[in-house]
Amino acid sequence: MLAFRFLRALTLVHRTTPNSSNAARSRRIQRAAFASMAYSAGPRRAWSRALLCRFHFHRARRRCAGRSRTAGVPRRPSTTGSPADGLRRLVPGGTEMDYCSLLEETADYIRCLSKQVKLMQSIVDSVGPGGR
Amino acid sequence: MGSGGRFGVGTGNSGAYMTAIAEPIQFEEEIRSLIQARFDAPPVSGGSFTALLGLSANQAVGLLHEPGAGEVSTSAAGLGHPLGCSPIFPSNAALADRAPSFPFFTAADSPASISGGGPSPPLKAEPPDSDSSPSLPVPIEKPRRPAKRKDREKQKAKGPSKKIKTAEEHTEGDQLPYVHVRARRGQATDSHSLSERARREKINARMKLLQELVPGCSKITGTALVLDEIINHVQSLQRQVEFLSMRLAAVNPRIDFGGLDGFLMAECGPLAASNGRGGVSLDPASWSSAPAPGTGLRKDLRPSQQSSTAWVYPYALIDHATSLFGYGAADSVPLNWNQSKTDL
Repeated sequence: MLAFRFLRALTLVHRTTPNSSNAARSRRIQRAAFASMAYSAGPRRAWSRALLCRFHFHRARRRCAGRSRTAGVPRRPSTTGSPADGLRRLVPGGTEMDYCSLLEETADYIRCLSKQVKLMQSIVDSVGPGGR
Repeated sequence: MGSGGRFGVGTGNSGAYMTAIAEPIQFEEEIRSLIQARFDAPPVSGGSFTALLGLSANQAVGLLHEPGAGEVSTSAAGLGHPLGCSPIFPSNAALADRAPSFPFFTAADSPASISGGGPSPPLKAEPPDSDSSPSLPVPIEKPRRPAKRKDREKQKAKGPSKKIKTAEEHTEGDQLPYVHVRARRGQATDSHSLSERARREKINARMKLLQELVPGCSKITGTALVLDEIINHVQSLQRQVEFLSMRLAAVNPRIDFGGLDGFLMAECGPLAASNGRGGVSLDPASWSSAPAPGTGLRKDLRPSQQSSTAWVYPYALIDHATSLFGYGAADSVPLNWNQSKTDL
């Protein structure tokens, strides 16, 4: 499932931006990777929901108001010093969870991320050694 | 006050009793005044109220014998009375028969039991007391005093045994909600600590799962280090995604979806429609002409070159959700196919 979505997104990206720079395209590909991860994980997971919200939000904003700055995660200095702060920042939607569900979401997120990385690595490998 | 012979202390029992007494009203008033007087006096022993009741009951019995004796002697005289009353007591057989029905006498038993230290008898004695004497202010205090004593006794008993203590805590918690008992560091049966323990176990189980997921984390002891390791792992994965997407941006892999028509029609209808047979097919000519797809390589997407039977990707790959693409010349295709099959 993940592979289908990602490959489809990849081809789409390549088709629609033949003239833009590599950097811009890599950003789009990265976003496509996260989007396909979130779609394949489904709405059952809090992190995938958070990711999808972020994408829809960004897309809506871009359509409405042109290019605007991405709304960052509300920055809260970790003066409270809770042990899982760094983790909360990394996992999408992690700031809103309690510790117990944060651990569970992290596990699922790691699984999905590693699948995505393997997929992308195999694509790159299949392209051949002359990749760059 | 003189409410038709209503005995202030015993409601049910005394109703029948009062009818038999000659001077009910006077008796009632004297009892009341006696009790008030006893209440003002300092407690004689630990179970002050019960002792108070006992004394006043005896006094009341003595007073019954001398109905006209309205003087209420205070503490000093009251102490002497039971002794003085005892010879008189048997003569009032009728009274003696009815005496046990008085809640006073059941309460009189309680000082003995309280000093014994058993929690249940005083507890049983309390409700009758509080039921029987709603009009008196003293019973309200009574449940608290034995409770405090139980608390003190508990604290003394804390030293010797923990297990007994937990049982006591449990019963205490059930029956007297305002008794504060500190839980020992054993296994508390409190509902709060139970739920906390369950929560802690859940967290530990999930930490274990995470440790298994993250390579090299099982050896680490201590949650802080494990968390750091997990954070590092997530960061490295995210960086890998970024790096690979950079590489993919450079190369345009041309993907052949030829063998998966039916499947893909459902999945990506519009894309399939636009691309003819469900996908973009590779152009072998352009591939071979550019053996090193370097920077800025953009392969044109020649639409629907249906030459790709050699690049058909097997349905087996679909199960694993693996890649379905192939590149290069026909000779390299099987190689790629095998490779991608095993990779994912």
